[in-house]
Amino acid sequence: MPEEGMDQEDVAALQEKIKNMSPEELKEFQKKQCIFCHIVSGRVQAKKVFEDDKVMAILDINPANPGHILLLPKEHYSIMPQLPEDVLTHIFMVAKSLSNTALRALEATGTNIIVANGAAAGQKAQHFMVHIIPRKENDNLSFDIPQQKISDKELDIIREKLSKNIEAKAPEKKREEIPPVLKRLHEEHEKKIVDGEFKEIQPAPAMKHIQLGHDNAQKPLTGKAPEAFKKPLPPKKVSSDNKKKPKNKELPKKQSDSANLDDIARILGAK
Amino acid sequence: MSQESCIICQIVGGKIPSKKIYEDEDCVAILDVNGANPGHSFVIPKEHHPIMERVPDFLVGKLFSVANKVSSAIFESLAIHGTNIFVANGISAGQKVAHFMIHVIPRIEKDRVNLQWTPKQLSEEEMSTVELKLKDSSKDIGYFEKKEPKKAPQKTVQTEEVVEGEENYLLKQLHRRPGY
Repeated sequence: MPEEGMDQEDVAALQEKIKNMSPEELKEFQKKQCIFCHIVSGRVQAKKVFEDDKVMAILDINPANPGHILLLPKEHYSIMPQLPEDVLTHIFMVAKSLSNTALRALEATGTNIIVANGAAAGQKAQHFMVHIIPRKENDNLSFDIPQQKISDKELDIIREKLSKNIEAKAPEKKREEIPPVLKRLHEEHEKKIVDGEFKEIQPAPAMKHIQLGHDNAQKPLTGKAPEAFKKPLPPKKVSSDNKKKPKNKELPKKQSDSANLDDIARILGAK
Repeated sequence: MSQESCIICQIVGGKIPSKKIYEDEDCVAILDVNGANPGHSFVIPKEHHPIMERVPDFLVGKLFSVANKVSSAIFESLAIHGTNIFVANGISAGQKVAHFMIHVIPRIEKDRVNLQWTPKQLSEEEMSTVELKLKDSSKDIGYFEKKEPKKAPQKTVQTEEVVEGEENYLLKQLHRRPGY
């Protein structure tokens, strides 16, 4: 956050410094730079109108109308999506009460509640806040939200995108739905493995093949490994008596494999 | 609950077609057909409440939390640079429909949306007066209405007669064995 009166060099140095920061450091840095964090901690004075353990409400020193309230979370958050759910709901419940307060105490006839997320939306401070602006008839204040006709096609595209995205944010249902599917897949997968009938040897080769891949010096072994890997597969599909024989033949092969693998283990150990 | 003359209640009830992007038991979010920018949405409580002060506290919290979800979705799905959450409470604040709603407005650099103001110059005295007035009536903030559970557990006083010995069928059941 470059301050007024800073040289361009200083600004550049500051930007470089910020670039190299970890997220935690950055948050700490932002806190130090944030005037509203200073207000919360009491180092900078402000006209407080409400305070509890989570939020603080102060008067804006550049008010749109008399009684313009800034409602801030005490913790530093830059934009609304960063707020935890409980703080968010709490802050807006307080906003409602403060709006009510403004209507009664200042004899306002209406209030505006505004949140700006991002500079394009008019956000000026790096601390999330809710503006509560008391309104009266003819108060020379106009918020202009122009209208434009948006085509049906475009609306449908946006609708699709947004509704999907919002659904993805409410994972309560999905949490229940997905795991059973995954579980079933996992169980089926496990069954297939058991069908291979190499209980003793199986876990080991899987590991050792990987080791083989790294060791180019052991060529005869890498040649055998894929064979052993491929052969157990066919018997799964057809479970006839004839197919059991090749399995029995494979067993000695596996044993020789494991013997060679022992050698490799030894060589690797020697290295 | 809903008012027949209210256009928003008709939209919520489905009598007027709309582009819903979210719906749950308490609220809906719909796209504004004449939005300030494409993606401009409203979050609306299903119950008819003209202004925010009439909406129960827990519902206000929930509506803004949905508005936050819509805002995040807009951030992630559309090429925009920011969002505004905007509420107009009362005609003097620019409210046009007598059904409370939260605007979620996607913002693009140099769009025509204007939510800025020229600061009013208040004297120190004026500021202090306002401060005192607000402080004084904000004292009682802190208690928030909570959602009442729909089905209150009915208290039924059960009077059970305990019959001793063989007459008690519950005890008899315990002793029932095959061949008995």
